[in-house]
Parts: sequence; C-alpha cells; structure tokens
Amino acid sequence: MKSPTPLPYTDTKAVGAADFYFAINATFRFILKKFGEEGLRQYWGGLGSRYFAPVSAAWRARGLEGVAEYWKAFFAAEPDAQVEVQPGTDCVTLNVKVCPAIHHLRKGQREILPCFCQHCYFISEAMAQPANLTVRVEGGNGSCRQIFLRRDPNLPAQDLARIKEATC
Amino acid sequence: MLGVFDFCGHYEWTFSWLEERGGRALLLAYWDEAIHRDSQRHASELIEAKGIEGMKEYWGHTLAQEGAGYATTATEKVFRIDMHECPSKGFLLRNKLEQHHDYCDHCIGWIGPMLKHSGFTIDHQHNHCGQCWWEIRTNTDPSPPSAPGGLAKESDVRLRPDWNSGEPSIDTFSRANHPDKKDT
Repeated sequence: MKSPTPLPYTDTKAVGAADFYFAINATFRFILKKFGEEGLRQYWGGLGSRYFAPVSAAWRARGLEGVAEYWKAFFAAEPDAQVEVQPGTDCVTLNVKVCPAIHHLRKGQREILPCFCQHCYFISEAMAQPANLTVRVEGGNGSCRQIFLRRDPNLPAQDLARIKEATC
Repeated sequence: MLGVFDFCGHYEWTFSWLEERGGRALLLAYWDEAIHRDSQRHASELIEAKGIEGMKEYWGHTLAQEGAGYATTATEKVFRIDMHECPSKGFLLRNKLEQHHDYCDHCIGWIGPMLKHSGFTIDHQHNHCGQCWWEIRTNTDPSPPSAPGGLAKESDVRLRPDWNSGEPSIDTFSRANHPDKKDT
C-alpha cells in the first residue's frame, strides 16, 4: 500500500521552522572545525545512510518514481523553497530555483560555510547508493540542479568543482 | 538536502554521532559553541541587551514558529515558560526516534550558558514526555521557584494530570546553567 506521504518522518505543522537552517549551518561549521573536511563528509554520509535509511528503502522499492515523490513532498515542507521536480524515464532532475537554506541564511545575515552546498551531494549520494542510484549536483550558492539516475560504472564521478562555494 | 521540516530528527541523531566520537564533553561543546554562540546568537544578543523583555521577544517568536503549545508568564523579576506540547520532543515521540538517551538536555545545554553570560540562572524540570517548565531569574535573586500554580496559575504544566507519571522520571535543575547540574 502506498504511504500517505513519502516523507519518512511526519509533523503536525505543514512547513518547517526556517530558523533551524541557522542550526544546520552552525552544525556543519562545528563538525568541520572538530573533524576536518573528511569528518564532515563522514557525518553527511552517516546521515544519508543511517538517518535517511527509510528513504533509501522507499527508493529501492519504488525506483525513480519514489525519488520524484520524495523530493516533491520534501520541498513542499521547506519554507520559501522554489524547486521544480522533473521526473523522467532515466532520471529525476531537481531544478532548485531558490534554495530555502541559502535564502534564509542570507536573510539572517549569517556567515555561510563555503562548502555548505556539498552536503546535498554527500547526503543524497549516501541515500541513493543502497537503491542502486546516484546523484550529480551542479551549481549551488542559492540555485542548482541535482540529477538522480541509476548507477552506471561508466558514469563520470561527481566533480566537486562543479558545486559552487556558498557566500553570504 | 538536509531540511528543517524534520530538523529535530537529524538534530537528535547528531547528538549520538558526536557523543560516539568525542563523548559527552564534545556534545556539551556542540550545544555551547554551535547552538548558543553560532546558531542562536540572535537570542543571546536580544537577551543580553533587553533582559526579560528580550526573553519575551525571543521565545514569543521562536516557539510560535516551531508550533509549540506553551504559555509564558513574566514579571519584572522572573520569566517563566510552561511547555505543554514541546514541538521538538513531540516530533521525536510521534516518529519513534530515540537515538540519544536524553534529548531534553539539549535545551539547558545551550540556554544555560547563554543565560549565565547574561547574568541569569534557571530553575527547570522536564518529564521527557514533551512537557517542561522554566523559571529564569537574575543570578543575584535568591528566590526559590514558584509552587505549582503560584505564578503561572492554570497554565502551570505541573498541574497536568500526566505531568508526573513516574516513568520516565522527571529531571530537575535548581539554579543551574549547565546540563550536568541535574538534581535527580
């Protein structure tokens, strides 16, 4: 039976509290300071493979259709997000026109961690891997494109240089 | 992307991730450095500048944004919060998320040091079921916490029939500014 929502965790409110983006940014900064770049990537990978394990399971069961459903529901619950989710037969593309996190961090005049946008790649890749999927991210710093597709050994690896540094 | 809709879920997951790597000391440092001094610096600035008026402004905004069921009571000497439906702990309970052994400690983990810096101290209890109360006074005020109903009247969370069900036990903090200054 199809779940009433593709989100793994539900809440009584329709949209999250935007000020929590401050805490996400601060958490990344703290972990980078304590554990370095590799430690931060391990944290992101752990979130993707453990905390988001229910999402991976749904993607494994439902394939790219599940990916599209998840991201539509996800961005509908993020304040001020403007994201177009394009389902396709071979991939799902997220056209992030307004990233809600960067938008709110700028509005709050917060110092944004330069590698902030890399978290989208490392978390999503860890979520996608158990479902035999992968992701490529291009852009960042407020708007980007994320493509989810089936794993293929011939596919070039993610080029991190294609993910922009975030600025205030 | 890591979002804010389920923030409390990955926030709590992060507590365990940090504690596994650096023990409680690292978790305490996280609450102080990342949450108090970085994420919530707007709260710190507001309360340092305006005292109890700043507390009214800060918690009025943040608890409404998070969708909390709560009441506040303020006099010139004390600021009190009665949390009847903690949006944060409520989210975890509804979604059966419990990675960390005492999620509720995170509040005093960052609020304690913040208020200490501004010259305030805290009387506080939480019951681990989404209910808690706070009384915040200047650290030079020796007044004890109010009796149930004495300050917050019918809004006092301690008057709820389910306030003290015995399991899990209630944690008590008396004139505290640190999560490890727990009476029980």
